[in-house]
Amino acid sequence: MIANEETMRLLMVKAQGGDKQCYASLLTECEKWLRRYYGRKINPSAIDDLVQETLISLHRKRASYDPARAFLPWLAAIGRYRWIDSLRKIYRHEHDQLYEEMVADPREGDVTAKVSLERLLGLIPPKQAEVIGLVKIEGLSISEAATMTGQSESLVKVNIHRGLKKLSAMVETE
Amino acid sequence: MSDKMIDRLVDDLTPVKPLRIRDGLALTLMTAALFAALVVVFAGIRGDILMGIPDPMFFLRGGALLLLGLTSSYAVIAMSQPAVGNSFKGWVWALFAALLFPATAAVMAMIAAPDNMAIFVSRYGVECLAISMLVGTGIAAAQVFWLRRGAPVAPDRTGWLVGMSSGALGAAAYSLHCPFNSIFYIGLWYSLAVAICAILGRLIVPRLIRW
Repeated sequence: MIANEETMRLLMVKAQGGDKQCYASLLTECEKWLRRYYGRKINPSAIDDLVQETLISLHRKRASYDPARAFLPWLAAIGRYRWIDSLRKIYRHEHDQLYEEMVADPREGDVTAKVSLERLLGLIPPKQAEVIGLVKIEGLSISEAATMTGQSESLVKVNIHRGLKKLSAMVETE
Repeated sequence: MSDKMIDRLVDDLTPVKPLRIRDGLALTLMTAALFAALVVVFAGIRGDILMGIPDPMFFLRGGALLLLGLTSSYAVIAMSQPAVGNSFKGWVWALFAALLFPATAAVMAMIAAPDNMAIFVSRYGVECLAISMLVGTGIAAAQVFWLRRGAPVAPDRTGWLVGMSSGALGAAAYSLHCPFNSIFYIGLWYSLAVAICAILGRLIVPRLIRW
């Protein structure tokens, strides 16, 4: 069971004051929360790294939390920022693979993850959402995604780039 | 693996003072006030103000720029403390109000020839652009300093707003010196100053505030 909003807010306030015991509890709770959060938004194999990067970001940016406001919307904003950053890195990685004429291994996606991500991706144009889903969630290569969607490889790259840019603009507002 | 990392982060914990919007806003406004004072000292203040009979256009122009600068600066500073659901859009209305100047100038230009040759004298226009942008750069530097302490999660939008707000405040500072009241002059050169600052902000600021 994950601590509730008010408990996490109080732990964060204590942590900002330097209370290490509260901070350890907070990070443990945040880790559990983030695993569940990302579990619906990215391929399971990428969750460990993403959770760790987000916890490090939380640590580095802990002064940006306003104790008078709710904690989870702040954590979620940082989580989304890191998530989109992570998708961009995978994109670059895919580029390299394509350049080296290697083929990415398709990965079995979590059904729950796909549904939740599709809900978020529903806010961007369908063609962009489709290729982001194929390349980022299912792990297809650019060329495979191009074949499946009927888009050219360059259009797939452009649509992924534009889609991620739009997602990035919606980190706080969605 | 996460447990070890959590232990490391806990060991590294030191007390921090939470950022406060009013502190960030105060930093921005103090920087703007400092630069406005420098404009007055080095370029001089408008003659009509010195004589105690300021032209109404001085207040309209300065008010629109200040309103735009203040509301967009608030949005910038608020972006240092992210949260899903954050959405301060007050600056949009201030932008519409400020756009009345170039819009009016454009309409008037279609009705009658511009009434002030100053708009064709590039020296004054370039001076307006240069000083507004110089002051804007100083204000933008203060905002970027603040943003780097925070956690902005929409770098592109933040870049636009940093450029627009610093450009508007920079132009407001320059307007203390600017002797022109022509709607054509204001619609052209002041709008250009804010627009160029906004574009430069979009191009430069995101890479300075990514984390």
